[in-house]
Amino acid sequence: MSLKTDDRKFDARTAAGIGDAFMRGAVGSAQDSLKTRRLTAATALGDWEQWRELGQQIRQHTLENLDYYLGQMADNVERRGGHVFFARTKEEASAYIRDVVQSKNARKVVKSKSMVTEEIEMNHVLMEAGCEVIESDLGEYILQEDDWDPPSHIVAPALHKNRKQIRDVFASKLSYAGDETPEHLARFARDILREKFLEAEIGITGCNFAVANLGAINLVTNEGNGDLTAALPKTHIAVMGMERIVPTLEEMEVLDNLLCRSAVGQKLTSYITVMGPREPGEVDGPEEFHLVIVDNGRSEILASEFHEALQCIRCGACLNVCPVYRHIGGHAYGSIYPGPIGAVITPLLGGYDDYKELPYASSLCGACTDVCPVKIPLHEQLVMHRQNIVSQGRTGVADRVQMKAASKLLSSPGMFRSTLRVAYSMTRLLSRHGRIVRGPGPIEGWIGIRDMPQPVKKQDGFRSWYENRERVERADAFDAPLKDIRKNGLSAKSDANAAVLPKAEPGRDSSVEEAAAPIGKEGR
Amino acid sequence: MSRTESKNRTADMSNRNPFLNRVAESLGRPRRTDDVTRPDWKHTVHLDTLADSTPEQLVEVLKEQCFFIHTQVIESTPQLLQATLDDLIDSYGGGSVIRSGDPRFSQYDLSFHNDFAWSADAAREENIRRAEAANVAIVFADYALAESGTVVLESRPDQGRALHFLPAHYIAVIERDRIVPRSTQAMAELNRRYEKGETLGSCLNLISGPSNSADIEMQLVVGVHGPLKATYVLI
Repeated sequence: MSLKTDDRKFDARTAAGIGDAFMRGAVGSAQDSLKTRRLTAATALGDWEQWRELGQQIRQHTLENLDYYLGQMADNVERRGGHVFFARTKEEASAYIRDVVQSKNARKVVKSKSMVTEEIEMNHVLMEAGCEVIESDLGEYILQEDDWDPPSHIVAPALHKNRKQIRDVFASKLSYAGDETPEHLARFARDILREKFLEAEIGITGCNFAVANLGAINLVTNEGNGDLTAALPKTHIAVMGMERIVPTLEEMEVLDNLLCRSAVGQKLTSYITVMGPREPGEVDGPEEFHLVIVDNGRSEILASEFHEALQCIRCGACLNVCPVYRHIGGHAYGSIYPGPIGAVITPLLGGYDDYKELPYASSLCGACTDVCPVKIPLHEQLVMHRQNIVSQGRTGVADRVQMKAASKLLSSPGMFRSTLRVAYSMTRLLSRHGRIVRGPGPIEGWIGIRDMPQPVKKQDGFRSWYENRERVERADAFDAPLKDIRKNGLSAKSDANAAVLPKAEPGRDSSVEEAAAPIGKEGR
Repeated sequence: MSRTESKNRTADMSNRNPFLNRVAESLGRPRRTDDVTRPDWKHTVHLDTLADSTPEQLVEVLKEQCFFIHTQVIESTPQLLQATLDDLIDSYGGGSVIRSGDPRFSQYDLSFHNDFAWSADAAREENIRRAEAANVAIVFADYALAESGTVVLESRPDQGRALHFLPAHYIAVIERDRIVPRSTQAMAELNRRYEKGETLGSCLNLISGPSNSADIEMQLVVGVHGPLKATYVLI
């Protein structure tokens, strides 16, 4: 798996998501349950806002001094006998890991869930080198057995699958003969994976946080697979995005609390582990420990106006509240990082050429920003992306023409007023039940996915109502400022949407059924 | 080759300098290598939460939380501990027991049928094989965290990592005076010990109940890769 999970165009991906009724149901109920659990866990603390501010401050301090803390981390890992490799690109990272594996003549690799190893396409590189790579997180294991189906959520990767589909995967790939009860499926996977843990020569994990003063990595899990991955094989390779670091155990503790509550509504997950190279005298744990620190585009983000995105602790809370994610699902983002945070960082890591639509996959409602435990201004960053996309001329010709027309119309009060006067009659044939349902060319693309109220007759409009309303005493005094506004045309902006439409050519046949067609239909 | 030269050579092989220079450049300032001091954090919410609870209240908080994390809590005494543990092992179906080599086992005069103590005297493979074959693991907690229902354990030559994960059932004995309000106190204490020059074990485990997963249709399954069931015994 790489950052990119799907070669189809954005429209095709979203259409597939919206057409998948099971997936939408699963995502909806998962969101509802995770949302409630997060809220309960956050509220139980009583002063959640202060916790968030603390988390934000810790992340910002660490990022501001990132070179110092990474240097300290590397010194401490090496002092304890471990190896550190700094990888500027994903190719460097996965090549280093492949070289370590090959130097051990190892064939059997077991790993625990890690987004950054997906990002650097590590599994692919290792399998090409002839290794068996086993994902040991239950959700990831299911996806692997289903011919490496991409993950659709950063915390619950197999969210889009139901128990019957999982049973079928296990039955066809692993000769599973049991029923579809989650306990039975999980117990079956436990038995298979237990063998894999015991025979693996190399264990590969991600890293929730590196603890700089200790030279150790912190893993936050529930299944226990991360710990087995790091305890049993004789070589442990930990891979971290370079931003995932804290000064000491004290800050780690605060962030782990924020992470567990935000991700799954737990006070702490079942297993929170801080681990490093084995100390002399200890029996198990790795004889050889490697830490791979990955840049892969992060230093550009650090230098950019998007640097706050690096505060992310990968809790997935923003996915769980996002109305767009709810409807299109994780796969529609075409990235291993879906949802609001995915729409922010995927274009940064993968470029606008492939991902310029993602910043538009948002209603800008700001729910993501409100739940973010480290206060990343997610929806503001999406707007910043949109500004970049427009200023780089990456929007389509139709968009540019419409925007130009709109700006001309809206900056001339006279033109705006005269347009408003004829708006009702011009849109009458395009409208049904008070909504515009059809329009020519590019306008159809706009209203195809939005509810656009039909402009009202002039005599029913706000302005005529305002002028003809029953007046209280001294009405003239109140009226004076209004005249100013009218003269300067300031209030025009509130009707911006309606103003574009009168350019439409009437006369096309239309129907409510067409207007009610599913949003995001292909080839619109 | 001098020590500095050797260090620089390692640093070059690891790409460290170009990498960190680039990070500094992204931050728009020269590379920072002098000690950075942590700022005063603007809030003390982590220190304040449950901080004024009495030891009795903390026991109640711990017991209540254990209900939510599917963990049985048994209140016992040092005198009754052997009997409590024997009953528990029976209720888990008997079988072989693996325990840590913690000196408190002999301090409380505990012994079990068919048991094996994790030990640096035995080979790595032997310890792992015994842990994998064991039905029950028994350990003593270094700290217990009331808020989250967590036991904290440090790896040592007589207490390995796999000990906590391979056996089917997990029993942690908690001495009441080891209960602290939350993770804040335990992590601060460990960090203080470390900064004073003490060597910590290579692995610090914060364990809150049995392993679990909600990866299939968000339905909670208790018992995945780690233990299927967990019990805390308070003394």
